[in-house]
Amino acid sequence: MIVGMFFNNSHNYYHFVTGAQEITKYNAYDSEQLIIQKTNVHNRVVFGGKMDVSSSTTPSPDRELVRVQSVSKQFSGVEILKDINFLLREGQVHALLGGNGAGKSTLMKIIAGLLQPDGGEITIRGKAIKHFSPSTAHKLGIYLVPQEPLLFPNLSVRENILFHLPKTQEMELKLTQTLQALNCSLDLDSQANTLEVADQQIVEIMRGLIRDSKVLILDEPTASLTPKETQHLFAQMRKLKAAGVGLIFISHKIPEIFEIADNVTVMRDGCIALNEPIHAVNSNQVISAIAPQCKIDRSKQENGKSYDFQLTTQFHTADVVLSVDNLTGEGFKNISLEVKAGQILGLAGVVGAGRTELAETICGIRKPYNGHIQFGSQEISKLTFSERLQKGIVYLPEDRQSSGLFLDAPLSWNVRSMVHNRFGFWLKSPLELKRLNSYIDAMAIRTTEKDQLVRTLSGGNQQKVLIAKCLEATPQLLIIDEPTRGVDVSARYEIYEIIRFIASKNVAVVVISSDLDEVELLSDIVFVLHQGEQSGQLVGEKISVENIMNIAFGGDKETNHA
Amino acid sequence: MKLRQLANWEGALAGLIVVEILIFGAINPSMLSLNVLLYSTSDFIYIGIVALPLTLVIVSGGMDISLGSTIGLSAIAMGVLFKLGLPIELCMFLTICIGALCGLINALLIIYTGVNPLVITLGTMYLYGGSALLLSGMSGATGYEGIGGFPNSFTDIANGMVFGLPFPLFLFIVAIGLLAMILHRSAIGRNLFLIGQNDRVAKYSGIPITSTLCFAYSMVGICAAISGILLVSYFGSARSDLGISFLMPAITAVVLGGANIYGGAGSIFGTALAALLVGYMQQGLQMVGVPNQISSALSGGLLIIVVVARSIVSHRDVLLDKWSRILSTYQLAKETK
Amino acid sequence: MLSFIKNNRESTVLIAILILFLFISLADSNYFHIQTLTMVFSSAQVLILLAIGASMVMLTRNIDVSVGSTMGLSAVAVATALNAGFPLPIAVLIALCVGAACGFLNGVLVAIGKIPAIVATLGTLGLFRGLMLLWTGGKWIEGLPNSIKNLSSSDFLGISYFGWIIVLITAGFAFMLTKTHFGRNFYAVGDNLQGARQLGVKVDMTRIIAFTLNGTMAAMAGIVFTSQIGFVPNTTGNGLEMKAIAACVLGGVSLLGGVGTVIGAVLGAFFLTQIDSVLVLMRLPAWWNDFIAGLVLLSVLVFDGRLRISIEKAIKAQRYARFRADATNENDDKPESSSSISTGAKGRELL
Repeated sequence: MIVGMFFNNSHNYYHFVTGAQEITKYNAYDSEQLIIQKTNVHNRVVFGGKMDVSSSTTPSPDRELVRVQSVSKQFSGVEILKDINFLLREGQVHALLGGNGAGKSTLMKIIAGLLQPDGGEITIRGKAIKHFSPSTAHKLGIYLVPQEPLLFPNLSVRENILFHLPKTQEMELKLTQTLQALNCSLDLDSQANTLEVADQQIVEIMRGLIRDSKVLILDEPTASLTPKETQHLFAQMRKLKAAGVGLIFISHKIPEIFEIADNVTVMRDGCIALNEPIHAVNSNQVISAIAPQCKIDRSKQENGKSYDFQLTTQFHTADVVLSVDNLTGEGFKNISLEVKAGQILGLAGVVGAGRTELAETICGIRKPYNGHIQFGSQEISKLTFSERLQKGIVYLPEDRQSSGLFLDAPLSWNVRSMVHNRFGFWLKSPLELKRLNSYIDAMAIRTTEKDQLVRTLSGGNQQKVLIAKCLEATPQLLIIDEPTRGVDVSARYEIYEIIRFIASKNVAVVVISSDLDEVELLSDIVFVLHQGEQSGQLVGEKISVENIMNIAFGGDKETNHA
Repeated sequence: MKLRQLANWEGALAGLIVVEILIFGAINPSMLSLNVLLYSTSDFIYIGIVALPLTLVIVSGGMDISLGSTIGLSAIAMGVLFKLGLPIELCMFLTICIGALCGLINALLIIYTGVNPLVITLGTMYLYGGSALLLSGMSGATGYEGIGGFPNSFTDIANGMVFGLPFPLFLFIVAIGLLAMILHRSAIGRNLFLIGQNDRVAKYSGIPITSTLCFAYSMVGICAAISGILLVSYFGSARSDLGISFLMPAITAVVLGGANIYGGAGSIFGTALAALLVGYMQQGLQMVGVPNQISSALSGGLLIIVVVARSIVSHRDVLLDKWSRILSTYQLAKETK
Repeated sequence: MLSFIKNNRESTVLIAILILFLFISLADSNYFHIQTLTMVFSSAQVLILLAIGASMVMLTRNIDVSVGSTMGLSAVAVATALNAGFPLPIAVLIALCVGAACGFLNGVLVAIGKIPAIVATLGTLGLFRGLMLLWTGGKWIEGLPNSIKNLSSSDFLGISYFGWIIVLITAGFAFMLTKTHFGRNFYAVGDNLQGARQLGVKVDMTRIIAFTLNGTMAAMAGIVFTSQIGFVPNTTGNGLEMKAIAACVLGGVSLLGGVGTVIGAVLGAFFLTQIDSVLVLMRLPAWWNDFIAGLVLLSVLVFDGRLRISIEKAIKAQRYARFRADATNENDDKPESSSSISTGAKGRELL
């Protein structure tokens, strides 16, 4: 059996196997033809035909691209998806929202062929699909751009994007054109592992665009993009819309949804909680669909709640705990600030502004190039991370899953992980469990077993465990990086109360956040960082989202003219 | 919960040992005599002695394939030091120091270069093994004879008895006690588990990675040296090729004992039981008259079966998913005929 | 120069080989002859074949420590077949099938059984060795017909019949791995398994094929070994898996997958053998060999490791270059494109 012959006329190419016993032609659309060939021996289903976006007939919003009906899926007895219905039409941007664990990723993986549903039906362009794999999904024009970039680190950018695609002049031209349309300057020959996360995300998006997908699933594509890059992406998405491509857009950012989407679906606990055209809903309805029991209480009142943490600090109220003087390091320059005991300092800025790098330099993970860091009355620039930890400088990392928590270790191990080396050679198990339970009670951490693995907890509860871990190290200065990333709305407010309580015990707190509402809510003082430099400072009454935004972008006008 | 699972696993291993001894005993009743059971350990317990600290290293996410060479180097060092006229106790002490040094070098190289531990210890395997051969050659000892002439007080060690147990077995039990306490009850042991699970989080938690790893690899070196000394005492001659065949059985014991080869999970008791399981299997086969050759096939086969079974249990979701996919392809094919 | 070494590992090893050749020629001008190199090549044939197979498995981010046993088993297969009267081609085919079957088993255990490669191949190491010993009853196989021994003595341009086959195989695999989609799949699977799966690569099939090819190469090594030595001892192949891995590492193949080439593995194997041969030619006693091999390997590893660390530092320094400049150079910063005001800032959230 001769294996393959490739035709390449200007718009479509066909890939088929000769010597087949049966040839069936199948019309999915008026303008395109799919050829399904089966052999008696191998049952290999080979789809042919590249989906040509530009030459199809005018997109009609009545044409269905993806129809999901009554799909269910369970893992180890837990029902992840229950009787899901979902519809994507041509030329539509369908936004998909939901808390962590709601089932969004699972549903998308099923549509993209990575998982098989247990029940229900999936219809792609009118044809019911029984047997699905990633390659059949590709051939049907479905492409999933994953949330975390899954690039090949040791291959070049070009090879990553054009993987398994024919390497012709045409393809190269298309590649450069698409890159330009995204207004992106990537070195195509550089190795993928030299790219920053935001660039990696763009490469993933490129992979979807270059394959002329008919259905493009974007899983949180804007997580690491700057506003400008996001706008470029939205512009491309609108172009694809106009050409008849259906887009599924998963995001946590409600303003973006309202900007780009035509339809919105909210998933909760494996079911559809909301499914409406975007003009028929407002953001409150969407938020309450995601998490109905959240208290939207935005007042900054004195917290009545008291926690049973054993927090002691050597500093008195209004003592200067941290003093940074003209500090320059990896990603920031000439930073000078002060944090006092009992104060919450909010560090605002865009992703890439240098805030995490600053925090990591203060706690000792990175080395500064220049400047001074003083803790209390002591200069600490020469101390190691462990030494600073001993002194009470505690850093709560941005990414709890990769830097903060041992996901496969029990809760007590995690909570004690910063301190178990301080108490002699032997561990004290009963004490550890006692400490864990005190935090579980105090912070209302929802657990199902006595000392379970952290991985089994929800995002909000994991974050609380991380806070417990940091508190266990008796912080005098606590730097929290993105306190509520990936935390559902109800747990968020609990965490805010906890942070306020910690500060009330005379701990100096620095909160790094990209959520301006959060910064406004928590901070006594706000510092804004922009591209590694201080843009401005706000105190007390002046703190508001508008003012922060002005400093972050308005001040920029001045430096450009300097 | 993981600890409960591990306890079940160790229970299963213990049960398997009993079953195995009973089966062999049924065929050759002399296997069931306590004396035989105790004395036969002297053949294989050396593997157990190095497998125990190897558990520490594997739990931390590392690997040490140079331990066989360290055993050989320790053995020949004993011989060379003895020939130099040093008192036998000093020889043993210095040999243990050499073993510790080998382990320490492994740890420092791994930390300093950031290279995969398997590859680094591949290099030190040749280096230490080569050093052993070098010492052996330069001191005039040919490969098979080794250096002999040790006093009876020394060669009696391996054959001696303590509390009714052969000395090597006694050391093994002491080592179990010591290392189990260290791995499961001490701060260093906790560090090892956490480093093996996620070394990035360990760094951000202030866990002393360098000192912990140096400790673990040095323990392997020390126990390898002890093993080497015992072997020299047992055979009465110091040869550089002692211990070469211990590496794979030691790793087998650690994996069979329930450790995760990628790190983060493991148990000293599990390793000890697995070492006994495999050791007694080889002994039993010998006593039953099965040719030696088949024993490596059987230990290999045992490892595969155990690991496959474990894999099926932990991956049943993915396998079910795949199976349903295969079934649906099959059905699709049948429909379209 | 550092980035040259990083990006052109194969050339670096080639240069090292040439330097070693010049070194031995300086020591004794009789050795300054192409024959020295071809002699090394002859001795290296077994290791080269093992390294080619090992590199393919390593590219997919796996390891195979059972190749020594596979080699032994295949050697026994070819020898037994020859002694039983089968013609040479059939015997060779049988041996190759044995090797392929062994590799296939490994592949299935790893890809479908989801067993970590080192553990699975540790098990099969014992299993295959046991099978081999069972088959021969622990005895050596001797008295082989000349047909097989002649294969390694026949000569064309100073290189034996096997040598040319090896050259062809290397060229074939090199072409496959660099130019075909099938070959790039190996790199993809090793570089990012999940990513490869999502891009439609049949990751299980790719890994099984990698192991099967490795088994076949081990079988070839067994055949060449038998041919060169003339009989099959019962320790055939013991310990060679580690040498094969060392050769690959020397040649730039990474245990973490996705990096390295077949040519690098071949050159690494050649270099390792050359070190041995040089020591012999210099009449150094045999007990120096392992020590020097270990030193060389460790030096390369230390160098590799430090090189990677310094390159990472350089990338980081470049990324933060503008922050290193003193405060006085503030005004020299070029305006960056992303610093312009965002246009769609309707939302209240910054990214």
